[in-house]
Amino acid sequence: MKKTSDDKSNLSLQQQGEMLLALSDDITRIRDKNDLITLFKKRIKGIFYFTHTIVTLIDYKDETYTPFLLDNDGSPIRNHTRYKEMVHAHFSLNEPFIQAVLKSEGPISFFLADIMDQPLSPPFLRVNYEKGVREILMTCLMKEGRPMGFVHIYTDKPDSFTPAFRSMIKAMAPQLSSAVSNIIKNEELQNKEGEKSFLLEFSNNIAAVRTKEDLALTVRAALGKLRPRNGFVIRRINEDNATMSPYVYELTNKPDPKILRALENSAYPISDGLQDRVLNSNIPMLFNVDREISRGIRSAYLQYWKTLGFTDIVGIRLRNGETNLGILFLDIDEINIPLLQGVCSQISIAMANIMANDMVTRKQDEQAFLLDFSSDITQARTRQDLQDAIFKVLDRTIHTKLAMLRVIDDDGIHLSPYMYDSSLFANTPEHFEKMVHGEVTVHQPHTAQVLASSDGVMFNIEEELKSGSDYAKLWSSTGLKNVYGLPLRVGDKNIGTIWLLANRLSQLILKGICAQIAVAISNIQANEKLLAYKKQLEVENDYLKEQIKTIYNFSEIIGNGEEMQKVYRLMSLVADSTSTVLVLGETGTGKELIARAIHNASPRKDKLMVKVNCAAMPANLIESELFGHERGAFTGAIERRIGKFELANNSSIFLDEIGELPLEAQAKLLRVIQERELERLGGKQLIKLNVRLIAATNRNLEEEVRAGRFRADLYFRLNVFPILLPPLRDRAADIEPLTQFFVQKYSRNAGRKIKKVTPRLLQQLRSYTWPGNVRELEHLVERSILLATDGILDEVYIPPSTDASRQNAAILLNRSLDEVERDYIIETLKRCAGKISGTGSAAEVLKVPGNTLHSKMKKLGIEKRDYVV
Amino acid sequence: MKIVVIGGSGLIGTKVVARLRQEGHQVIAASPATGINTLTGEGLAEALQNTDIVIDLANSPSFEDKAVMEFFQTSGRNLLAAEINAGVKHHLALSIVGVDIMQNLGYMRAKKAQEDLIVQSGVPYTIIRSTQFFEFLAGIANQATEGNTVHLSDVSFQPIAAEDVAAFVTGFALGTPLNGRVEIAGPERFELFDVVARYLRHTNDPRKVEPNGKPEYFGGGISHTSLVPAGEASLGALNFESWWSRQAQPVA
Repeated sequence: MKKTSDDKSNLSLQQQGEMLLALSDDITRIRDKNDLITLFKKRIKGIFYFTHTIVTLIDYKDETYTPFLLDNDGSPIRNHTRYKEMVHAHFSLNEPFIQAVLKSEGPISFFLADIMDQPLSPPFLRVNYEKGVREILMTCLMKEGRPMGFVHIYTDKPDSFTPAFRSMIKAMAPQLSSAVSNIIKNEELQNKEGEKSFLLEFSNNIAAVRTKEDLALTVRAALGKLRPRNGFVIRRINEDNATMSPYVYELTNKPDPKILRALENSAYPISDGLQDRVLNSNIPMLFNVDREISRGIRSAYLQYWKTLGFTDIVGIRLRNGETNLGILFLDIDEINIPLLQGVCSQISIAMANIMANDMVTRKQDEQAFLLDFSSDITQARTRQDLQDAIFKVLDRTIHTKLAMLRVIDDDGIHLSPYMYDSSLFANTPEHFEKMVHGEVTVHQPHTAQVLASSDGVMFNIEEELKSGSDYAKLWSSTGLKNVYGLPLRVGDKNIGTIWLLANRLSQLILKGICAQIAVAISNIQANEKLLAYKKQLEVENDYLKEQIKTIYNFSEIIGNGEEMQKVYRLMSLVADSTSTVLVLGETGTGKELIARAIHNASPRKDKLMVKVNCAAMPANLIESELFGHERGAFTGAIERRIGKFELANNSSIFLDEIGELPLEAQAKLLRVIQERELERLGGKQLIKLNVRLIAATNRNLEEEVRAGRFRADLYFRLNVFPILLPPLRDRAADIEPLTQFFVQKYSRNAGRKIKKVTPRLLQQLRSYTWPGNVRELEHLVERSILLATDGILDEVYIPPSTDASRQNAAILLNRSLDEVERDYIIETLKRCAGKISGTGSAAEVLKVPGNTLHSKMKKLGIEKRDYVV
Repeated sequence: MKIVVIGGSGLIGTKVVARLRQEGHQVIAASPATGINTLTGEGLAEALQNTDIVIDLANSPSFEDKAVMEFFQTSGRNLLAAEINAGVKHHLALSIVGVDIMQNLGYMRAKKAQEDLIVQSGVPYTIIRSTQFFEFLAGIANQATEGNTVHLSDVSFQPIAAEDVAAFVTGFALGTPLNGRVEIAGPERFELFDVVARYLRHTNDPRKVEPNGKPEYFGGGISHTSLVPAGEASLGALNFESWWSRQAQPVA
């Protein structure tokens, strides 16, 4: 059965020696498996005949040996159906055939026919036999005194294993052993090198990763080199810390895009019995899809993996520091732990960076948006502005709609709907309407909770439904999970509540938004209140104007006598126009009344008429009073002042006592009237004016002009439309109604009831000359009412005509020619500013030569103090 | 059946592996030397593929409190996780009699932690708590030697032969998981110093054994009965003499 090496050698010892030496050189040069195969195929086959050779290695952990080196070209069994199986098989060391080899001192050969059918014999013997191989020469390879493997040499020709062959193999065995050891070492080294350069390259690529897309590309390229059968999936732990979703993946079998999208968007609970196991394991976990399914793990992705052909999968947690980020699922069953952990730590860092980056970007976006929101909100002046801003911010930042914003009423108890987006409740509009207008107070349970909370309250709709709340029913119609109620506060004062429906909201953003909304609402409320006050003031103002009007209008003017009828006709003719009106009349005839009546009948009646009493102002201030002045125009002009003319722009100005206006002011007034523009005192800017001028005087302006006290040109400008008011003595018919009017007015004021005015009294009044006109009558009546005792007015205290006036009249009547001449000369001198002769002098006016006047003055005793004012 | 023996190259491991192979099982003797490292996980998942039974006989390479705890916790977690993945049907681990009453000792805390992990894992299990092995006697003597004297406690001691332990381990491993603990011990109970003295006499060791009367083991305080089974225990076949007779006698 066994053939030992005692056959006759074909080669001489010397030849053998030389050959061995040459082979030994070759063997020491062996670096890899190919070198060894070449040695057998090229060198040894040239000397001895055999069909093929293989090397197997012993695995002590399970006491087996397994092919290490195969002769791919020479092997006749390569097309045997069991060849593949043989290549990967582990053959037990505990059987007689291999034990015989282990016990043999040197190479030992067997006829396959003898041993292949022994009960424990390894199957490769029969496989070889079936492909024509007849004999096998087994040689043990030793390492550190222990068998490490075997060289199998096969032949199809009997007697191929000559003694020379055997002895050469025996001689070569130690060198072959070290060659195989070297090959193993080399392979290990190369693998390590390969891993290191792989990791280095991966690390370099990962360092350049900035986005998720970069990461996907890099990871795909790198993991592709590990040749996963069906691809890989990286899942990321979602923000809720309870689920995971696909992050980056690569699948060899392209699945249905619909299913893929569904999977991409799904969130798998972490604690599903598998993902949590991977996350809790500090080593890569190899698991079997079928086994996990049969274990009862129901996660949808397992079923899906199964359909994609995944069987065994390695799951490795992706972890940055102490934080789990996700899992890498890789469809391989050879786990190179250092390599995988290297890859995963890199992926983890990149993921953490990207996520941090994303978060920063998102935060920035959010902040930028909040900033926008803040500026939108600060510009919001009306509810509509605010609503637009709020709807926008809710949609953009938290993708939700405003369910309701209620504002606490002034009573501090009720809350009124302020703003809402009814489109959110499009499913149940009637219910919504009902709820919107239902009464809500601060004591309503949900509202009370929200108002009492610091940062708002989240209500789970499902739980609220159980309590049977009507609101919960409304909320549930939206299909959303939660309701967020937040208090709107300004400072620590609650001003309302805001309600949002969503599945999840970021509290931080919400808080920011609510604070701004609260401020905006309180601003708008303040604004609305302000507007309301303003409106009220306007109404009051109108009312007051109305009141003023009722005091000063045509109806105030009493008397329908013929003289007054003329006046009225003139007034109605001129009122509509913008023409300047000059009201003339003795003192007390009611010039101001007429001026106001003209204004009130004009289109400018909505604006107040500005009245200036030219006589009442100091001469040096009148200009600034009329035309205004700039700051610093003169000493004491510490601020700009708007003049009466500017004030009366688009209205009327009433210049009372125009005759008293100083000459300087007259010039300026003239210019304003001519140009319809003015310059403030000390100012450079011309101000356009649209002012209607009404002037009044009790003086005879023609005479004033003649006397040189009034500018002629101004007089002509003013005297466009003169209205002469008749003196009361010419209006006998009006005395009775006027008296009745004043009696009523003053008896009311004085609280005395005057039942009757006696005809005797009226007769008395009518016969009086009324030098003070209507004003005198008014005061007379007032006085009489105060003096009346019995409710009957039958006596007025008409001042008796004084002696002085009579005397005056007498003096006037009984004067000598000299006296008259003297007075007249003095008067003329006064008018001519004391100038006696020359142009504009008194001599010229009196049409006498200067010398003649001089001598007359001497003769009549006129001295300088008589005519110098 | 495919059986993986963690620590398969150790004192008990080699014996268990040999016994199981003799019974025709496919056995993987796992140890860092054979490329299977429970601490790093290296080779673990591959080795456990299609495995029916895992026998954990591994011991920590360091006996420092922290390192031991780290070893048993980490390797225990890794191993059990891999077993769950591989669908292992029986996990058998070797522990120590009295482990839960000697929690003042770091090593015992670590072994207890290992037991707890197994119980919580959900993998069907059997935990064998064994007394000390006869094979430890030399070591016990050495660590207590001062000069020519061995100072030892008089605590109760009931050592068992490694061969018997291997037999129990093999037997329990192939049986139905108990999902509980069993205790094994040698057939005879001694006082610690006494059995060591006997051992030294047999080995012609000139050192003298002095009982110190302190209840301690490897320098740690224990009770007198901590090291022996409190209740019912399976007893090994080999007593001191029969064990000794099986040892390869040192060449005189």
